[in-house]
Amino acid sequence: MSPEPKAPGADLAALRRRLAGTRGRVYWRSLEEVARSPSFLAWLEGEFPGLVGAIDPGLDRRRFLQVMAASFAFAGLAGCGPEPETRYLVPQVEAPEGIVPGVPRHFATATMLDGFAEGVIVKHVDGRPIKIEGNPQHPASLGATSPWGQASILGLYDPDRSQAVIRAGGSSTWERFSSLILERREQWQRDGGKGLRLLTGTMTSPSFAAQIAELRRRYPEARWHQWDAANRDAAQSGAMIAYGRPLDILLDLDKADVILAVESDMLSSAPGHLRYARHFAARRRAAEVGARMSRVYAIESAPTLAGSMADHHFLLRPEEIVMTLFAIAGALHALPDQGYGAAAPPWAAAVARDLQQHRGAALVHVGGDQPAIAHALAHLINDSLAAPGATLRHIDPVALEAGDQLGALTDLVSAMNAGAVDTLFILGANPVFTVPADLGFAEALKRVHISVHLGEYFDETAAACQWHVPETHEYEAWSDARAFDGTATILQPQVRATHSRRSVHEIMGLLLGQLSPDAYQIVRGYWQGEAEKPGEADFASFWTQSVRDGLVAGSSAKPVEATTLPDLGARLRPPLSARSQAPTILFRPDAAVWDGRFANNGWLQEMPRPHTTLTWDNAAIMSPATASRFGLADENVIELRDDQNTLHAPVLVLPGIAPDCVLLPFGEGRSKGGAVGVGVGFDAYLLRRSDGLRQRSGVSLRKIEGKWRLALRQHHQMMAGRPIVRTGDLDSFLRDAEFLHKEEAEERKRHGEVEASLYPRRAYDGNAWAMAISLDSCIGCGACVLACQAENNLAVVGKEEVLRGHEMHWLRVDRYYSGSPDDPETLFQPVPCMHCEDAPCEVVCPVQATVHDSDGLNLMVYNRCVGTRFCSNNCPYKVRRFNFFDFTAKDPRPRESWNPDVTVRARGVMEKCTYCIQRIREAKILADRENRPIREGEVKTACQQACPTEAIVFGDKNDEASAVSKRKASPLDYALLDGLNTRPRTTYAARLYNRNPELAEG
Amino acid sequence: MTLLADIREAPPVEPGQNLATVSNRVSDIALRMPTPRWWWAGFGASFLLFIILCIAAGNLFVSGIGIWGVNIPVAWGFALANYVWWIGVASGGTIISALFFITRSEWRTAVNRVAETMTLFAAAAAGLMPIFHLGRQGLFYWLFPYPNVMGIWPQFRSPLLWDFFALLCYIIASILFWYIGLLPDWAALRDRAPTRWQQVFYGTLACGWTGAARHWKRFRVVYGIMCAFMAPMVMSVHSIVGLDFAGGLTPGWHSTQFPPYFVFGAVYSGFATVLFLVLPIRRLYRLEAFITEYHINALAKMMLATGLMLTYSYALEAFMPYYSGNPYDVKQIRNDFFDLYALQYWGKILFNVVIPQLLWFPRLRLNEPLLFLVSVGIIFGMWLERYVIVVSSLYQDFMPSAWYFFAGSLWDWLTLAGSIGLFLTGIFIFLRLVPIIAMFEMRELVHREEGAG
Repeated sequence: MSPEPKAPGADLAALRRRLAGTRGRVYWRSLEEVARSPSFLAWLEGEFPGLVGAIDPGLDRRRFLQVMAASFAFAGLAGCGPEPETRYLVPQVEAPEGIVPGVPRHFATATMLDGFAEGVIVKHVDGRPIKIEGNPQHPASLGATSPWGQASILGLYDPDRSQAVIRAGGSSTWERFSSLILERREQWQRDGGKGLRLLTGTMTSPSFAAQIAELRRRYPEARWHQWDAANRDAAQSGAMIAYGRPLDILLDLDKADVILAVESDMLSSAPGHLRYARHFAARRRAAEVGARMSRVYAIESAPTLAGSMADHHFLLRPEEIVMTLFAIAGALHALPDQGYGAAAPPWAAAVARDLQQHRGAALVHVGGDQPAIAHALAHLINDSLAAPGATLRHIDPVALEAGDQLGALTDLVSAMNAGAVDTLFILGANPVFTVPADLGFAEALKRVHISVHLGEYFDETAAACQWHVPETHEYEAWSDARAFDGTATILQPQVRATHSRRSVHEIMGLLLGQLSPDAYQIVRGYWQGEAEKPGEADFASFWTQSVRDGLVAGSSAKPVEATTLPDLGARLRPPLSARSQAPTILFRPDAAVWDGRFANNGWLQEMPRPHTTLTWDNAAIMSPATASRFGLADENVIELRDDQNTLHAPVLVLPGIAPDCVLLPFGEGRSKGGAVGVGVGFDAYLLRRSDGLRQRSGVSLRKIEGKWRLALRQHHQMMAGRPIVRTGDLDSFLRDAEFLHKEEAEERKRHGEVEASLYPRRAYDGNAWAMAISLDSCIGCGACVLACQAENNLAVVGKEEVLRGHEMHWLRVDRYYSGSPDDPETLFQPVPCMHCEDAPCEVVCPVQATVHDSDGLNLMVYNRCVGTRFCSNNCPYKVRRFNFFDFTAKDPRPRESWNPDVTVRARGVMEKCTYCIQRIREAKILADRENRPIREGEVKTACQQACPTEAIVFGDKNDEASAVSKRKASPLDYALLDGLNTRPRTTYAARLYNRNPELAEG
Repeated sequence: MTLLADIREAPPVEPGQNLATVSNRVSDIALRMPTPRWWWAGFGASFLLFIILCIAAGNLFVSGIGIWGVNIPVAWGFALANYVWWIGVASGGTIISALFFITRSEWRTAVNRVAETMTLFAAAAAGLMPIFHLGRQGLFYWLFPYPNVMGIWPQFRSPLLWDFFALLCYIIASILFWYIGLLPDWAALRDRAPTRWQQVFYGTLACGWTGAARHWKRFRVVYGIMCAFMAPMVMSVHSIVGLDFAGGLTPGWHSTQFPPYFVFGAVYSGFATVLFLVLPIRRLYRLEAFITEYHINALAKMMLATGLMLTYSYALEAFMPYYSGNPYDVKQIRNDFFDLYALQYWGKILFNVVIPQLLWFPRLRLNEPLLFLVSVGIIFGMWLERYVIVVSSLYQDFMPSAWYFFAGSLWDWLTLAGSIGLFLTGIFIFLRLVPIIAMFEMRELVHREEGAG
């Protein structure tokens, strides 16, 4: 242990300089004098917490020495900062109580998207967090996770995350930073925080709200702004128009018989989407259990998950969407009809009638990408359908100070340009990348006297700011956040923060004058104040329970009464819009990397985007008709130019985009912020404008030379007439539940196929593991794909290898189109291993590396595999993946984050879905120990657990009461490619359409 | 029988050859003739290609088979196509040597040594390919059913396993057959060797052959048994190779005709390769007296005959999907006709079916440059056939969502070129060191012809 504590170099040097030449009693008095300087106090507090209080003016020399001696003695335990000396770890010779090696422990917390919490449970093995699962108690999760939730664990381990405080490009220290802030604080105290600005992403954290309130009390002139590129401004503005105040809507999709989804993000990214998806899917499966199936209409310009699930899907240009809403509102007499119906497509009247007939059980949902007027119209229509209270509820906005993020941001930028911003704190946001190009944020930032960036990565904003402070990951710090319905979660750190990383709360604490802000104290302090019963004992149990459960009981928002403004219908007028020759550009957040924040996450980059199946890129996506109008084809490069910027983008032709629209997903094209994300795709923000956040025109499109290869997961869109995704009509089903197999039986009769085998049938007396996948329910979100990746240590291979057909996903979500390419129906189909009872892969392996076990699982014995790849050739479902290179060794995922229960695969070895056999074994061992059979529901595969819609059900086929047996008993159940007699254990339930007879096949 | 009658029109040995000229002419090539310049050029080029093979294999062992173009769904690529191609080429030698020994066809005598040697090195090239093909090349011996403490046995239902056995047997038997057939000639070279090292070298190889009657008697028995053994074996090897494909349920593979189909193709390419080698060798070494137009004619006719058999298989391959009406098979054959690999498909039809029809004309059969080009075309066409069978069947099978394409990478092409290097290097060494015509058999033939004449 060093006898002298590490000191902030400059301060100690200054101290030494000032002390040089002095002697005797002066020495101590001088030190005391020096010690009163804020910077010294900051250092002292950082180095020896609690010492500051001990140095009172009356401190004598003896007392000082006592305190210092004690502090020095403990200095080595403080363990902060990079120090050159050797340190020793002490092994757990006697492990702490409760930790059994290899036995996982689970801790609740939350993961966040744009400030909204999704409750999760983090699985720890031997002290390391390794897997994210949904928190079944949490209303925004119900046990499911989003792809982002699954991928968050990789973010935690990302080695590219920023580690050091950086000042103007050079390294610095937290102590120097904090001393600077403490100095500035004196200034703010004098002038009320004039020139102090904060910019964050959307915030829902109650503790942060309290800190902001405190900040404003102390520095009344300070301002706080929020900005998220995919913000929900339009929804709030729509509420302002309709209700005169911002409101959030909660959907009760389980009660909705008829849903009109207007480019709705209710199943993909809207706050609460996991819960909505659960309820939505339950109603889509309803017919199988004798309940009533919902009917879904979708109108959209760009494909959404909800649109793909619709019974009637209408592709419209953005302005047509608004006009159609006017027509529907007019038909419902929600507003004075001024002949809107004539301008709208003919089906609008039928949709309106259907909604009208289901008054009280119908709703309209408008996605966050739609303009405010569409939201206002939706409120109007919902009101006239008596939806509030029946199929939806209103609550006060969950996000803090929700409303006009763009307006606030514009104010900030003009203040910055005017030189009115002295100090700008950018906390957990990346505005240099995400702010619309016309605002010129990066330029304005140069006029700020002191700019500070707190972020997980040294990103574009960090590089443009004078100070960068590394931010803690959401699993590294104490915090809190609210879910879509206001339910608060106290986020507990899953690992200790390292590398002088700080959380938003700690920066706020510093601003508020805390010398060593501690997020734990801040968050706990807030909730202590909030707890209804102030007694310490009660609070302790409240705290323990809330942290343990992952949510604060009873914290959800109470529904509020809201009535649309009386003159609303009369006030709403269709916007004038002339359709120009130039294409309309649609800006939407990328389905995987979102607004760019997840760009450094390899799992998300390699996740096939739901509709495009594109990985490692974004693209200028347009319909076949638009592409042929401009003479474009896949992988062409186009130049998009407005008066300010030019960008080059690859073309991707995709059915299901409105005519003459070009969809540009934003979020890719990062120039800084980690080795994985930089250089992937193009930066669509360059064309985004503050007056055209979601769509704009005035962009010229020109084909240029070159080819931009796109790493698509799927290259063929049609099923080639094969019975792969089977569909039927609800009417046929209700008339004759067996209709699906009648067709099949006739088919078989025609072809003379008989199910026969030379081999005797094997009996599976114990468990017979099986899976059922409901295509009525699968929304194609991709959470299962990432859950599988996380659980089974699947390697990320990168764009080049995806292009070469070497991707490693054990589970894929296939996407097919049917119908016209101009407005097709989209079908999703998750394909894991089928675990065929007569597995074609097994007979062809010369070394018996793939075999059957007594439970009927098709096993892959990695150790035995020599890599002939015959099994993959012979797999009609093509679910096998091969280690063409040593992908595991090249995978950037740190080894400590791997699931220790799953073998990593060597080069030259085949691998595939195992039905998460490690989970089966774990349950089996437990069951054997307790001398009982495995219980129904005890084994959940990773994909099943993550699935928001319960589309995937897994269990024991031998148990007739099991969920999987019930699903398989459904007359809709079918085996994929059953003509091959492979007898798959994974089966599918055909998808039903609940068509409106009025609109049937026109 | 008209075929055989036709062959008898030309003499199997040019008149004027006697027992001494046979031995002198042939043994001088190995023993006394200075190494010709064309030999050095050919050997140098071949050896360069062989070094490329070493580099390609080295990279393969270090990096993994990801350096190739194979992917999911096309998990088999060049290595398997090359393998089937080479093993097919190899078969030609065995057929000529063993099958026509049994039928006592005298036209085989002049070319059987070249044919057997071709078998040897083609089999060597073929044998490497399945090992290269493996994901974990070092563990190829796991296919062997050796007793082990874990009690693990190979999967006896897999055609790949039987292919491994068949290939192993075939290579071992081919080496033995070649070597045994050379014993009297090794001894002849030993006895005629002018230098000490040649005496030691050929003497060692001759294994003490003295030409004693007992030696000859045993030799006849062993050689006869080997022939009786090899002739069906070459059929079985190709049948098993065919079953590698037919055993899969992939559309385009799952067909009962594959075993004979592959035998036809193999023999066809084998004859083409023999012609490819014999035509230049007889000119370069001036062996026209021993390898006569009679042989060329016979080989060309055999080639035409097997080509027609193969054509029948092609026709069947196209007919069966439509006859069965299986939509997957129909899609597969339509892909062959019109889709991504149509060029290769029609290329194989052109080289294997259309052009060889020229061989119906006796004049064209004896036009050596033309025959050489037709043979090269067939060798190339047979490679295309294997490429189409492997790749075109895999790239669009059952699940459209998994469809993708295959294109050979640089390393694929280098491996193919390198394997040709290995083959030609071996052939060139053979030309320099080994009697390229079976002298003892030729003497026997000359003796018989003299007796007859």
